[in-house]
Amino acid sequence: MRVLRTIVQTLFLAGVVAVMIRGAMGLTTSTCGTYCPFAGLVALYSLLRYKTYTCAMNELHVALFVSLVALTLITKKSFCSWVCPLGTVQEWIGKAGRKVFGRYVRPPIAVDRILLNLKYVVLVLVLGLTWTVWQGHLGFRAYDPFYIIFTGFQGHETLWFSIFIGIGVLVAAFFVPMVWCRYLCPLSAVMDPMSRAGFLRLRRNPGLCTDCGICDEACPHGIRVATADEVTARNCTNCLECAEVCPEKGALELTLFGK
Amino acid sequence: MKKVVIIPAAVLLLILVAFATTGAYRVPTLEIEFVKERPAVVASVEYTVDGLTCRGKSRGFAGMISGVEGVVSLTTYVRTNTAIVEYDPALTNPVEIETAFEGPIIHEGEEDFLFKAKK
Ligand code: SF4
Ligand code: SF4
Repeated sequence: MRVLRTIVQTLFLAGVVAVMIRGAMGLTTSTCGTYCPFAGLVALYSLLRYKTYTCAMNELHVALFVSLVALTLITKKSFCSWVCPLGTVQEWIGKAGRKVFGRYVRPPIAVDRILLNLKYVVLVLVLGLTWTVWQGHLGFRAYDPFYIIFTGFQGHETLWFSIFIGIGVLVAAFFVPMVWCRYLCPLSAVMDPMSRAGFLRLRRNPGLCTDCGICDEACPHGIRVATADEVTARNCTNCLECAEVCPEKGALELTLFGK
Repeated sequence: MKKVVIIPAAVLLLILVAFATTGAYRVPTLEIEFVKERPAVVASVEYTVDGLTCRGKSRGFAGMISGVEGVVSLTTYVRTNTAIVEYDPALTNPVEIETAFEGPIIHEGEEDFLFKAKK
């Protein structure tokens, strides 16, 4: 499972790095933003308001966003742990942190609950500013670590600001696993309701589970797997790290429509 | 855990669907009419233009061809870097229009070639 996922993650990461390098060499005008589904949401927004696309948005962004909605309905937030290069980089950095600290460092539950809602505030802010100040433009790009990191820190006119955001997120991910995805990413906020419905989800078989709790510790999103019958949590990305470490064969199984 | 393959399969399929369907519902990025009354005969030419990557640049492009007598309208699609120009064939031609948009934009003494037609 992990090998398959790592291959898929590496392919997407390599693709986005290739676009970055080709852009730096002047071989393409595409950037990582050309393939960002979040721009699709903003594009739908500007279609609604201006009856056309503003900025560099186009039909591909909308199509990728619609595909993302479908993917999330089917497979929960698998986009985050299988596709998104920023998720991949954070995951790998988080695992390095786990090696150093011996476990995932997590904020206290009460703090975590509050922080989990921050991404909705970010989403409302981004959409509000896009409607007003940015007038349909992708103003969020300047603050978006995905765009900043995968354009080689060119996302903002001010280099130190790009470095501050980009490096800041990467360093934070060492101490708090998946910090951007979990607490701040507006695309993650958009996916949350669909993810809750996600048809492909893990089911725990209480007859085989020994309540050892190893799965809980392995989850980068701090989801309580060992006490759930089914993992319906909106934050579950179907990374399957929990199932990977489970010592009891068959205790955690993926189910589609409950089967 | 064979069902795990559903995830990469769904990712691949949905990306393919996204790329395959984008051409089906094109929305122009910019549409401009340069004349109040359209001439009796109108021809049209389609360019693929390096640098035509957003709505702002589409406006810059419009500014560069607006001075060519006989240019009637412009429609751009930035996803494919496409510019479709309608013109009065009695007054201008595709080569003259191309020369206009490839011309240098002067920024305080600097020459800045923004657009280049892909051949
Ligand atoms: S519950 Fe399991 S599959 Fe879901 S995010 Fe946590 S480790 Fe990944
Ligand atoms: S790791 Fe497996 S056996 Fe242990 S609590 Fe989780 S599901 Fe049960």
